[in-house]
Parts: sequence; C-alpha cells; structure tokens
Amino acid sequence: MHSETMILKHPLSVRIFHYLLIASFLPLAVTGLALYFKPFAEADMNLLMQIHIVAGIILSLDAVAFFLIGFERVILFIKRMFAISINDVKWFSVLGGYPQKFLFKKKVPVPPMGKYNSGQKLFGICVLIGGAILIGTGWILWAFPHNLPRAAVAFFGNLHTFFGLLLTLFLPVHLFLGIYMFDDFKAMIMNGKIPYPEAKTMAPLWVEREIMPLK
Amino acid sequence: MENKEYQYAESPFNVSRRQFITIGGIVVALLAIPIVWVKYLATSRNDYILARTKGLYRDDEKAKIRVSHANPAVAQYYKDFGGKPLGGLSEELLHTKYINRTKGLS
Amino acid sequence: MSVSAKTYQRGEIPGVIAINSSLCKGCDACKRHCPTGAVQGMFGAVHNIDVDRCLNCGQCLINCPFGAPYETSDAVDAVIAKLKDRSHTVAGIIAPAVRVAIGEDFGMPAGSLVTGKLYGAMKKAGFEILDNNFTADLTIMEEGSEFIQRARHAVFGEKGEHGTEIGPLPQFTSCCPAWVRFVETKYPALIPNLSSAKSPQQMAGAVAKTYGTKVWGKGANKIYTVGIMPCTAKKWEASRPEFKSAYEYNKQKGDAGAVTPYPDVDVVLTTRDLSRLFKKLNINLATEKEGDGGSLLAEYTGAGTIFGNTGGVMEAALRTAYAVLTGEELKPLEFKKVRGLKGVKSASVTLKDSKYNKEVTVKVAVVHGLAENIAPVVDQVLAGRSPYHFIEVMNCPGGCINGGGQPIQGGGSSWLGAVLPWFAWK
Repeated sequence: MHSETMILKHPLSVRIFHYLLIASFLPLAVTGLALYFKPFAEADMNLLMQIHIVAGIILSLDAVAFFLIGFERVILFIKRMFAISINDVKWFSVLGGYPQKFLFKKKVPVPPMGKYNSGQKLFGICVLIGGAILIGTGWILWAFPHNLPRAAVAFFGNLHTFFGLLLTLFLPVHLFLGIYMFDDFKAMIMNGKIPYPEAKTMAPLWVEREIMPLK
Repeated sequence: MENKEYQYAESPFNVSRRQFITIGGIVVALLAIPIVWVKYLATSRNDYILARTKGLYRDDEKAKIRVSHANPAVAQYYKDFGGKPLGGLSEELLHTKYINRTKGLS
Repeated sequence: MSVSAKTYQRGEIPGVIAINSSLCKGCDACKRHCPTGAVQGMFGAVHNIDVDRCLNCGQCLINCPFGAPYETSDAVDAVIAKLKDRSHTVAGIIAPAVRVAIGEDFGMPAGSLVTGKLYGAMKKAGFEILDNNFTADLTIMEEGSEFIQRARHAVFGEKGEHGTEIGPLPQFTSCCPAWVRFVETKYPALIPNLSSAKSPQQMAGAVAKTYGTKVWGKGANKIYTVGIMPCTAKKWEASRPEFKSAYEYNKQKGDAGAVTPYPDVDVVLTTRDLSRLFKKLNINLATEKEGDGGSLLAEYTGAGTIFGNTGGVMEAALRTAYAVLTGEELKPLEFKKVRGLKGVKSASVTLKDSKYNKEVTVKVAVVHGLAENIAPVVDQVLAGRSPYHFIEVMNCPGGCINGGGQPIQGGGSSWLGAVLPWFAWK
C-alpha cells in the first residue's frame, strides 16, 4: 500500500448517521412513490405503507439523535450550507463542470469551493429543510389526520408530497455523483478519509482554511 | 487504527460563539413555531361547533315564545286539521313504524 | 353504489356516501369518525364504503382532509327546475341547524344566525317556507305526549286509548335518521324503545301535502317538498318508501290528484347543496334583505330552534313535559345540564304529576357522537339496567349543527375528545 497523505473528512458519528439515512431514506422514497401513485392491490399497498412507516421511524430517530448528540455539527453544517457567494452562482452557471466532463470529456474551470460545492449546498438545504418537513408532516399524517383541522392536514399532506417528490428526484443525482466521485464515496461509506490531493483539487478553500495537521 | 492513517483533520474552531448562538437560535425558533401553530390548531378545532351551538341558543333567547306547547301556529294546526297529539290523524301522518334490517332486505 | 346492498328497502337511496378513489390516500382518518366501521380498505390502500354498515351520516365526508368521500345524490338541478315550474309550489323545509351555518358558505363567520337572510334568499329563489322548527314544535307535542303516556303507563299503570299498545321505557328520540338506521341495522331489539314520532322533516312533508294545501292553495300533487338539512342521512330518510302518508291520506279522502304515489318529502338538499343552488341562481345570501317566513308554517318557538344542538330536543321536550305534567312552566327555561359537548350528559327532574298528585323523578340522558359514546348507553338498556326514562341520541358530535351536510369548516374537526395519536397499521 502506498502511504498517501489523508484528511479525516467524515468521523464515525457522521458515517453512522449517514448509513441510517441510506437504510431509511431509500425505502421511504420507493414506498413513497408507490403510496402516491397507488398502483398496487390493497394488501400490497398496506405492506408498503408499513415499510414506509418503519423506515420513517428510523429516519426520525436518526435525525433526532444526531440533532441532539451532534448539535454542534448540525450548526456547523447549517453554517456551511448557507455560506453563499458569487462563486456559487458561477459554479451553477457551468453546472460544476459535470455535464461537460461526462458528455464532452471536456474539463472546464470551476470557481474554488469549500468543503461542500454549490450543488452539494443546494442539496444540503433541500435535505435539511425538506427532511425536517417530511419528518414533521409524516408523523402528523400518520398519527393525527383525524383530529386536527382538515385543511391543515391537507396542507401538511401537500407539503409532504412536494418535499417527498423533490428529494426523490434529487436522490438519483446524489447517488450517481456520490458514487462516481469514488474517493468521496470511500470517505463517507468506508473509512472517513479522503486523499489530500483530491481534497485540494475539489475543495481548495476547505483545505486552506479549515484543515490542520495532527500533532 | 484510524489515528495513524490520516494526517489532517478539521480544526475544531470553525463556528464562532456568536455564529453558534445566532444559528442555534434560528433553528430552535424554526422548530418551535410549527409546534406552537399545531397546538393552536388542535385547541381551536371545535370552535366552529361551539359558535353554531351558541347561535341556536341565541335564537332561543330572543324568541318571543320559548315553549312548544305555546306555539299558536301549532295550536292552529291541531284546531284546523290535526286533531290532538297522539290522535288518529297524528297516528296516520305523524307517526311511523321501524324495520328490522338485520335479516336482509332487497 | 353497492351491487348487493342488503339493508335498504326498494326505493331507498342505497348509500348516500361513496369514496372517490383518486382522492383517497388511505390515511384512515375517516375510520376514526365512522360509528359503524363502514369504511373498508387497509391502511395505505384506497378506501371504500360498505353501504350496508353505513349510516349515511357524512361524518367521514366532513372530516376527510383530502375531500375523498362524496354524496351520490345531488338534487340541486332538479330543485332549480321545479322552482322555475310555475305549476308547482316548492316548499323548503329548513332545519334549525341550517340558519347558523349557511352564512359560512357566503363568507360570514361560523355560527352567524341568518334566519332572515335565509328566508329572503329562499323567497327570491322561489321557495315557500315551511320552517322545520315549526314541525319541531309539533314533534315535541307528539313525542312529549308519547313520553308522558309511556311514563304514566310505567309508573301508574295507565292504559292507552282504544287499548293501543304503549311502548317501553326508556324512550329514545327518533329524529336522527342515522341513529334510527343504527338501531334498525344493529340493535333491532331496541326498536320498541324508539319514539314512534316521525322526525320533524318527515312530519313537515306529511303536513305540507295535507294541511299545506290549505295554506298555499295548491293541490297536494303540485306541492314539491324539499328538505333543507344539515344532514346527509336525511336524503336517505326521505327516500324511505313508507313515507308517503300524505298520499295515502289524500287518496283515502278521495283527492282526485292522488293518482301516482308521491313521497312526503320529495328531495333533500344539504346546507351545502342550498348554498350551491343560491350561487347558481346568483343569489348572495350575505347581502340579502331580511325576509319573513310567509305563513304560520314558519312560526316557531325557542324550544323548536334548539333542536339542532345536542341536548336541544331533550330541553325542548322537558319544557313541555314539565308544563303538561305539573300544570306550571319550567323555571328557569334553560336546562343547562343537558347542554354542552360532553359525550353522555344526564340530568334528573323531580316534579309533581298534577293528574295523579304524586312526585316523580324523571331521569334523562343525552348522547351525541355515536362513534365514541353510544355503546355503554345501549348496552345498559339491552341489559335492562338503564337508569334513564328518556334518552336523546344524535349521531353527530355536537348535534345536527355539525352534521354531514353542513358547510365544510377547514379549520375545524368533529373530534371532541383529546387530541391523542392513533397509529394506524392494518
């Protein structure tokens, strides 16, 4: 094995949080689509709903646990998501260089990014806000649709549908890029570490300003 | 062991105290507002029933006559046509029989 | 509509409520409001209604967040056509609960008492008015007398006239068609306990096509009676084939117009239906001038109007029964113990029966919200252990003012109990 310089990008607590997200959100998205379009017979729809609920409970517990245990990291995450500048506009105007890379094999210059690039920040905001809304409305729709005012429950239902579809549409993009960028994939799914040169290329501002060597 | 296998990590001081309080405060507020709103929805959910109930009791309070046996129109009905309560005509027009539906009807 | 509806007579609407499968999310909210478990379909799957269990009460309809249940019977266009037909008199039978709710469909706050504007709007549309509160007063005379007869029979052994059989105590009110259907489909043993008095709506229809011919100067077969009700079950009630008493009476009297049988109540519009009718005719109830009832068939007392509230029928009956038994008026007239949203309310009145010169204590109960509250009351009566002599039952939580035919209140829910989670699963 070669000894490459590595940065710890995702500590264990973050990786566990993310494993549980994968385990819960993928079934939620798939069953959610089925529940919306209702293409199957009665007993199957009931089973899908039960899966949706169990996965929803796991997601809720995961989110609440991380929020409480890792509150500082949550605040840091929010700070990074909402640190928006002109660089983000420029990044979107070239779509991060990805379509050009995949379709035309061309490399285009991309403004310098922090730990999360502009697309990831957008995804992060959607997931943070959308996820919170899905969890909150999900519980109300499951446990209280009969005793809260009907217009409010309908509104929560619409929110749940909107953000559910939004995140489900964003999901394939996240899955594709998350696997394609294989060093980052290994960092999040396996050992939390990313090679220094890769990080310097993709997240130069993060490496310059927020990384320090271990003693 | 992980410790030996990476040389760099994030420095722990990436959020200032002020930023922490601001962002933390916004997060808590954004979580509290829907909770307060849903609580309000729950407590006000029967208000329309109480309002309609009150409306009818008000109709009763402002009525000139408030007991059925003093309704002159009802008295007129019985006098002109109906006879008396539980009388023959009442049996015919104003009373009925019920049906056992547990045995299946068509 | 169900192919194999087994609990409907020929001629009855076989199920007033159905569920639109493209709107239903399978959330199970409606199941919590249904008094008979008539909503079928597993949690998460599209639901449908078993019409044989359904009481047609419409609680599922007014509480569904997604507006999935709908009414299978819509008479608005038929009524408009009759209103335009000069040869007919169209009599609108207005329930008490309509006058404190219909304003909501025209932008007025919940509970606005709009009797005058309602009369004005109906007159403008071409209706004659038969206020159901008038017939509520009539119902008190009939049902109150019946209760006194049953009570005096039970306590003093008094016999009925012409040896008629007298019903048992406790006496149940019979003005709520969902409750009546509940008894007929689930507890037929309680049928003798039901008051034999018709509901005010059905009395109104019978009166309209007999006595009403004199009031409006029209032949019975030219009078078209329209129930205007807060209630979807009233649509089913009006369709009961035995309710053609006026026709039978008129035929017997040799009325030349009594050829084809006509029902006592031809059609029923819910409060929502009437609002739609007004809007189709470009009548804005909110800006209407106050009208008057137009005839003695619209004259009512305070006792009649409170029929729309849970406890109202009982209070009205007590005001009259007390006066008839004791010879004195009840003081104070407000009988607060039977008012309010508690599921089962009870009270007792001690009075002196002036005919027998003896003191009696009348124990009464008021039940509303059939889904949550009826079981123990019915069980007691079936076991012969009921402490009550007279029991008012209304299916809908709060009474008819919260009926399945009322304007939809988005900010409201029929749920009267604590807001606790219910974790649907199957």
